[in-house]
Amino acid sequence: MSENALETILENRRSQPHQLIEVLQDVQETFGYISEEAMTTVSKELGVPLIEVYRVANYYKAFSLAPRGRHIITVCMGTACHVRGAPRMLDEVRGQLGIEPGQTTSDGMFTLERVNCLGACALGPIVVMDGKYHRNMTPNKLRKLVQSVRETEKEVGADAA
Amino acid sequence: MQEYVNITIDGAKISAVRGTSVLDTAMEYGICIPHLCHYPGLSDIGACRLCIVEHIVNGKAKVTASCTLNVAEGMVIRTDTDRIKRLRRNIAELLVAQAPNSRAIQDVAVRCGVKQVRYPFHNDNCVLCGRCVRVCAEMWQAKALGFVGRGKDRHVDFPFGRKPDFCKSCNTCIDICPMTITPCPGPMKSGEEYLCLACEGQLTMADSLPGACVWCDLGKGFQCARQVQAG
Amino acid sequence: MPPKLKTLEDIKQLRESLTAQTADIGHTVTISGGTCGNASGSLKVVEAMRSELASNGFAGKVHVRVTGCQGFCEQEPIVIIDPANIFYCRVSPDDVPEIVNETIRKNQVIERLLYTDSATGEKITKESDIPFYLAQDRVLLSQNRKIDPCSIEDYIAIGGYSALAKVLGGMAPEQVIKEIKNSGLRGRGGGGYPTGRKWQQCREAAGDEKYVICNADEGDPGAYMDRSVLEGNPHAILEGMLIGSFAIGANQGYIYVRNEYPLAVINARKAIEQAKLFGLLSDDILGRHHFDIEIMRGAGAFVCGESTALMASLEGKVGEPRPKDVHTVQEGLWNKPTCLNNVETWANVPQIINKGAAWFASKGTEGSKGTKIFALTGRIKNTGLVEVAMGTPLRTIIHSIGGGPNDGVAIKAVQTGGPSGGCLPAEKFDLPVDFETLAKAGSMVGSGGMVVMDERTCMVDVAKYFIAFLQDESCGKCVPCRLGLSRMLEILTDITEGRGKPEQLDLLEDLGETMTETCLCALGKTAANPVLSTLRYFRQEYESHIQDKYCSAGVCRELIQYSIDPNNCTGCGACLKACPNKAITGESEKPHRINQDLCSKCGICKDVCKFEAISVC
Repeated sequence: MSENALETILENRRSQPHQLIEVLQDVQETFGYISEEAMTTVSKELGVPLIEVYRVANYYKAFSLAPRGRHIITVCMGTACHVRGAPRMLDEVRGQLGIEPGQTTSDGMFTLERVNCLGACALGPIVVMDGKYHRNMTPNKLRKLVQSVRETEKEVGADAA
Repeated sequence: MQEYVNITIDGAKISAVRGTSVLDTAMEYGICIPHLCHYPGLSDIGACRLCIVEHIVNGKAKVTASCTLNVAEGMVIRTDTDRIKRLRRNIAELLVAQAPNSRAIQDVAVRCGVKQVRYPFHNDNCVLCGRCVRVCAEMWQAKALGFVGRGKDRHVDFPFGRKPDFCKSCNTCIDICPMTITPCPGPMKSGEEYLCLACEGQLTMADSLPGACVWCDLGKGFQCARQVQAG
Repeated sequence: MPPKLKTLEDIKQLRESLTAQTADIGHTVTISGGTCGNASGSLKVVEAMRSELASNGFAGKVHVRVTGCQGFCEQEPIVIIDPANIFYCRVSPDDVPEIVNETIRKNQVIERLLYTDSATGEKITKESDIPFYLAQDRVLLSQNRKIDPCSIEDYIAIGGYSALAKVLGGMAPEQVIKEIKNSGLRGRGGGGYPTGRKWQQCREAAGDEKYVICNADEGDPGAYMDRSVLEGNPHAILEGMLIGSFAIGANQGYIYVRNEYPLAVINARKAIEQAKLFGLLSDDILGRHHFDIEIMRGAGAFVCGESTALMASLEGKVGEPRPKDVHTVQEGLWNKPTCLNNVETWANVPQIINKGAAWFASKGTEGSKGTKIFALTGRIKNTGLVEVAMGTPLRTIIHSIGGGPNDGVAIKAVQTGGPSGGCLPAEKFDLPVDFETLAKAGSMVGSGGMVVMDERTCMVDVAKYFIAFLQDESCGKCVPCRLGLSRMLEILTDITEGRGKPEQLDLLEDLGETMTETCLCALGKTAANPVLSTLRYFRQEYESHIQDKYCSAGVCRELIQYSIDPNNCTGCGACLKACPNKAITGESEKPHRINQDLCSKCGICKDVCKFEAISVC
């Protein structure tokens, strides 16, 4: 399965070193993270030294070298959000989930990320949950949001069982 | 067939080879410009910023690294102004406060006129000069090492953090590293670091001929290109 | 089958036929989409509107247009009904049936949905009367209002691609460059370099293969002007790049968009597809040019907004800047002559070609011509995008347009120019916003971010915030940036945690000046500005943190303490439940207590207390 997906990503891009970042972005989107095997294959197929692939994967924030949680919580820490109390969102999540930005909960459910400005500054503080933007957040609203995601997972699990 | 251009460094008219850097040209003529990440035979990356000089353009003095600045006809350079000396000293101060446990770093700091360190000492064992990375990629073509990570997480590493089988085990990365030789009075314990001014006397020699290379011991310490090339 | 526009006549005819079509429409309902709109639920409003109109027999008679950001972000979702120009704000899907029934069917205005002027308290009916808009000169933003960004026809109908037609219809490349030079347009990304001069240098550079790039990596936190233009009017940028590439002699262009702007990437890609379908991006554009544009995404690196780092990223490498002793107009992407300009710079080009250099130069000041979009955010009533002529005083932007303080707390400072800029105190609000004035005052226009701060903001904390940001984003290659930022952060942390010493202030200045002079790239060279500007204007805050261990804004956690007043505390337990560190204890209906050892000073308890029983000192 994963070999096919990687094949598709590499199609039409072989031996084109400048496509490295686009390829890694597709790998990140498809697999949720960039594995050592993926990096080794990309290095061979694109003709980029392995150390360079490893460097690029480590340099850019969009790439994760470890699998991430099922739900990604992104807290915006831009200036406008900061001035409106964004650090409290981080405090709230730290307290609730016990993880730092960049980490994933031990049950694999949540990954916490921070981002340095999403460009929706008038609506800050902003928290993104699984790609959906939530505006004018407060620690209270964030606690409820995390609860509701947990509850939905439980229901889905119960249905599946 | 070498082409020459005329440039002026510290008032001296110099005939420089087109395609060479201001740093190489200056050293060729015996003008001293301290440096750390520059190493003969390797490309220049302008990372340490110790080799800064003033490049006078239209009456304005721009501060720029001389290792990445190529000579051009009519170029006017000053290497030893008070401003440059102060900036260079501040940069060297940052370096020695970060990694004092190395003869090269201590010596280059003294050479740059550091007399006091205003920051609490750390005890890093890498200053990210990149000599190892460049020698591996350019001289040995192995590309087993690279700068990994960004900003304060930047460090030198192998792919995936493991020595690859294509590493040629030449050990040149170790030989060329400025951190491998401990300070003359011995390795410094964490929490007991200090600025070693034992060789400050070397500066008196240098001050008697300001800006000129006096083949000082400090240069030997930080593997100054002039002394490395001489063998 | 879309018409391939091969000649100028083709474009003119298409425009005329589109204008004729719209003349038949009864009502037009404009709803603002865009990232802010979506985050506020505007897409649901659009759905509700479409279905309500259809079920009421209005389909085909009422045109629904979804635009990008219009700039009045606080009031999203916005619904405007023309031709009466009725402006409804903060609309929810539940309001839609009433809007269709009352306003569309009966032309009645719904009072409760109207905008209330924050200054007078009056309700305003028409969009054209809204003070927030009236005080602006919305050269670029007004276009967002009129078009669906995913419709090239909308763009052509309002005059889009007519500047390209004018250029390819008979102007020489040198004429185009002269026009841009005479307009006085300067780079809108922060550098402020004269655009015409850059184009000329690139044109004159040796080599046949040249590139043009649009820098849409808008990384300054608090700035989103480029997002709104790229999302809401992507064709303006395509047209600008088409004109620029023709003038310079380039045949390949790139738009580098930061990947935190997914909607901008989608809309820009759609625009390119459509331009290709219509023959405006092809091997033979109106008989005189050939040009192609590719979108490349950033991958999360602020430093890639720096031109050499951006080009490295386009080449598939890590985004590390390189020295600019040889400029990128000579050796840029793939070492070829490259002209890189910001989104807003490109978007201004078609306007200048159409209306003339003199029109553009009639706005602004001697050294800073034209209009500029600012992202006005922070502690202010009307947050949003504001477009004004250069030279407009800060006071006008912050008080007249921005509406002044929120919550009645006095405004203390405005931060302009992002992490490369500085903080200006309220006493300086009479300064006109232009490149030279702000730079002399210790800040800069930058890309246009303007964050307003009030008495609840600690300026030392702001400096620390920016240095921490830059440390995170620095590529780390050069010593003065990497180690300089680390030491600055060390010192600022000492100061905000009560360990500061007086000599550290002079050290911050010495270090800051060293970074400004010796760092390799613009990120490092401007990194000290937030510290240097706050030291210049708010030194007393630093001193009181050091000498008195006192934070007047009540922000620096080590210097403050939260406590519960037993006289006001009703024991409701709201704070106990809300505390993320379980630092509050107490029995129901009895006064609660905060355990200072567990308290992280986050302030969440004070926010939730309804009895004002929690104070910070």
